[in-house]
Amino acid sequence: MSDLTLTPVLSPPTPVRTIAAKDIRDALRDRFILIVTGFLGLAALVALVTGAIALRGDVATYEAAKASLLALGKSADAIKAPEFYPLRLLRGAIEQIEIIGAAIAILIGYRSAASERGRQTLSLMLTRPMRRWQFVAGKALAGIGLLASGLALVLGGLALILHLMSGVGLTSDDLLRIAIVWGVSVAYTACFFLVSFILALHMKQSSHALLVAFAIWLTLVLVAPQIGDTLDPDNQVAGGVFKQLNIAKPDQVEIMKGFATFETVRDGIEQASVTKHFERFTFAVLGIKATYAGLPLGPILIEMLGNLIWIFLTALGLGALALALPLNPDRLAKA
Amino acid sequence: MSGATSPSWLIARQSARFVLRERTVALLSLMFVVLVLISAWLGWSATSTVNRIYLDAAAFLKSSGQPVPTNPVLDISPLSLMRNMSVYVALIGALSAIVIGNRLVGLDRKAGVLPLIGIRPLGRSAYAGGKIAALAGLTLGLALVASLVAVATFLVLPAVTLTGLQWAQLAGFMGVTTLYMGFFGLIGLAAGAAARSETVGLLLPVTLWLTLTFIFPQLTANLNPTAAINPVSALALPPDTTFFHWAARILGPFSLADAYKFASAGLLDYLPQGITSPSFIPPILNLILAVGVALALAWRALARLSMTQGGYNV
Repeated sequence: MSDLTLTPVLSPPTPVRTIAAKDIRDALRDRFILIVTGFLGLAALVALVTGAIALRGDVATYEAAKASLLALGKSADAIKAPEFYPLRLLRGAIEQIEIIGAAIAILIGYRSAASERGRQTLSLMLTRPMRRWQFVAGKALAGIGLLASGLALVLGGLALILHLMSGVGLTSDDLLRIAIVWGVSVAYTACFFLVSFILALHMKQSSHALLVAFAIWLTLVLVAPQIGDTLDPDNQVAGGVFKQLNIAKPDQVEIMKGFATFETVRDGIEQASVTKHFERFTFAVLGIKATYAGLPLGPILIEMLGNLIWIFLTALGLGALALALPLNPDRLAKA
Repeated sequence: MSGATSPSWLIARQSARFVLRERTVALLSLMFVVLVLISAWLGWSATSTVNRIYLDAAAFLKSSGQPVPTNPVLDISPLSLMRNMSVYVALIGALSAIVIGNRLVGLDRKAGVLPLIGIRPLGRSAYAGGKIAALAGLTLGLALVASLVAVATFLVLPAVTLTGLQWAQLAGFMGVTTLYMGFFGLIGLAAGAAARSETVGLLLPVTLWLTLTFIFPQLTANLNPTAAINPVSALALPPDTTFFHWAARILGPFSLADAYKFASAGLLDYLPQGITSPSFIPPILNLILAVGVALALAWRALARLSMTQGGYNV
């Protein structure tokens, strides 16, 4: 019997929807998704609140310094006022999605594949009138749908808090930027979901698959960007090497021309990780990176298109791999 | 009964052998060793790049008639070449220790051999002692490999010589590293013994690790997750506000990732002046206390492990 034609197919889209709906019901029933989404929400909320408190501290320090200068009859122009862009307060939350969101996606992917193995129901399911790709697609759609819903809850909640807390409110442009970041976050976390899902479906022991997925997560999310960050000469000296040497920005650029190869290698290590592309894109769209703060969305999207393509191609490539790899029911007993 | 054939010793030896046969443990341990090697290279590469930038900048400043400041590399202790190792221990070292702790008890539960062990003439304390001894041996083994890489790096690199005090500081850093990995290993062991399912036994300590590494530093010092894994950026002063003062006072003693970072920075000579750990307890003492608590938890979980049930309950 061919791998793709176990039995005649009555209604192609139905099995995908049925499996996806069943997986979503199962996930909501055992509260796992709610618990992990709550954990991500808590981490993101802590990041937002601590960032806001720190900013309020900066403003208070500035106001005190300004009052002192004015009391002395001096101009307050000598001190720089802290800049306030509400979306910048999402920096910590984006980093939590980058790290903890990816880890949660791995857990959802693992559970999605391992649940059928644990209950010994996979072989039984594959005797039903459906193609094997439909089984995989249904599971993947459910997992990515759950991730998308969890991220929508987290980012929606953060946007609401930001709107109420910032004092200036969020504009429609701000909301559009958050919506774009949500879409890219779904694609980014889907990459890790699919890695874990593929490994847990195809490795002999599902617990080993979870550990291998975490090893990949460590490498892509934490190690590769950290190596690139560490190799940045400005991160080697407290306050930055050029600041300590009192060298102006144009002269810094001139000096760094002699280190073009080093910078290419450093950038290459960072670029190898989908996490860095996610960080660059979201930091630019939200204006977290100072050079993009206050710029209109259009030019930012054009400049960041390469990062966007990288993230979506990675997700699509892994999705295609998940559908293409043949399932072996004999190997998928409880292990 | 002689020490060499005591039940604890037999359990420790058998458990360590079983765990070392696991491919995932081997994979994570190998990753740890590779990253320790990378950390040595990173330290050397980054420092020499800053030195070359200084030489270029000095030539540029001299040609434009500006004063030339001192080379920042001269202010850096050679020990700080190993600063990235503290990051990799906090990441992969802690995760490897969790997996080792989990597998030490998880393999017995999964294989269903607990009832067989339970009918042997050995007490629960012998079983618990054996498992903890196996964990101690394996964690020390990982730390020993990391130490050998560090020592070899300092012996091989030209123009780097350590004083007797600096060698002692390096030994102290490796001791602190063993404590930190030991804490997570013991938590992995405790969760592996207490959890009803294999996955929960692994996920509980991983969640604790994520919380300590990425959420607590934000509460105690407004440190974003990516800054928390950069050895230099992680040592920033917390904002001077009432909230952070209280957060450091209340959460500081529990913020073990911070304790490990500050203990490492102090021992490897890259702690900036005027910056201290958020906890009121000195970092090394903080880690020792945490290991004591984790040891008690692991002992309790192992001693209460049901020896009548094979496999996991779910």
